[in-house]
Amino acid sequence: MKSFAKGDVLFERKLASPGRGRVALFSTATEDPNPIHVDDAFAAKAGFPNVLQQGPMTTAQFALLLGEIAGEPALKSLDVTFTAPVYPQDELILRAEVTEVGTTIRCALSASKPDGAQTAKGIAELGVD
Amino acid sequence: MNLSLQGHTYPPYRLRPSRALARKFMAALGDDREPQTVPPTYLVFLRGETLGVNLFEDLDIPREKALHGGQRYDWFSPVSFDDELDVTVHIDKITEKQGKRGTVWFADVTFEYRHAGSGALAVREVTRLVKQS
Repeated sequence: MKSFAKGDVLFERKLASPGRGRVALFSTATEDPNPIHVDDAFAAKAGFPNVLQQGPMTTAQFALLLGEIAGEPALKSLDVTFTAPVYPQDELILRAEVTEVGTTIRCALSASKPDGAQTAKGIAELGVD
Repeated sequence: MNLSLQGHTYPPYRLRPSRALARKFMAALGDDREPQTVPPTYLVFLRGETLGVNLFEDLDIPREKALHGGQRYDWFSPVSFDDELDVTVHIDKITEKQGKRGTVWFADVTFEYRHAGSGALAVREVTRLVKQS
């Protein structure tokens, strides 16, 4: 793995909207029976304009991008808090910036919509072999 | 929220990562290649529902009032498609807060995935479930 310094941006990547098809497929793949991801009427009952994208989709995208940059074996921990709903039609911009380099590389993570609204934030730690 | 379950540990269940489900997992993320390794966050907490750990029902969180607040993963050793894993689920803590729109409950639940046989810890996932009033 290449060396990193505090302030380095590991990635800032715009992800295309997954659309309802991929959101439904994620429910199938994770054996998630929650209708809020596939049923508009149910989502409306819960107070949302349409079905929701799963929070773990964002976590998974962070993990894949970190693995792409650092190699999957370097992943030590990933802590993501979901801060706002994400819909199937939403594009997201995922960003990781190095905040500390020591026995591990610590990164600040953020996910936001193109208008800047944050949907998730977090911290990742990568090993430094 | 069923506060009495704070501190509860479920009986362990065993699972083997499914290559077919991992393929769908990756396709849902926009990658149609055949997965060579188990995706890092494939071991998502929801799988336990089909294996006796129905957190939403047990904690009394109706689906329409449920939110997923966050996830933390810690990786300790690699997991392959040939591995069997023993999963232990523990409800760490349940907290209650007053929000602008009423009471909100948070349940932090830890899933530990250990290699069957050796017992070596592979992955720990902590998930935060939220119930709105």
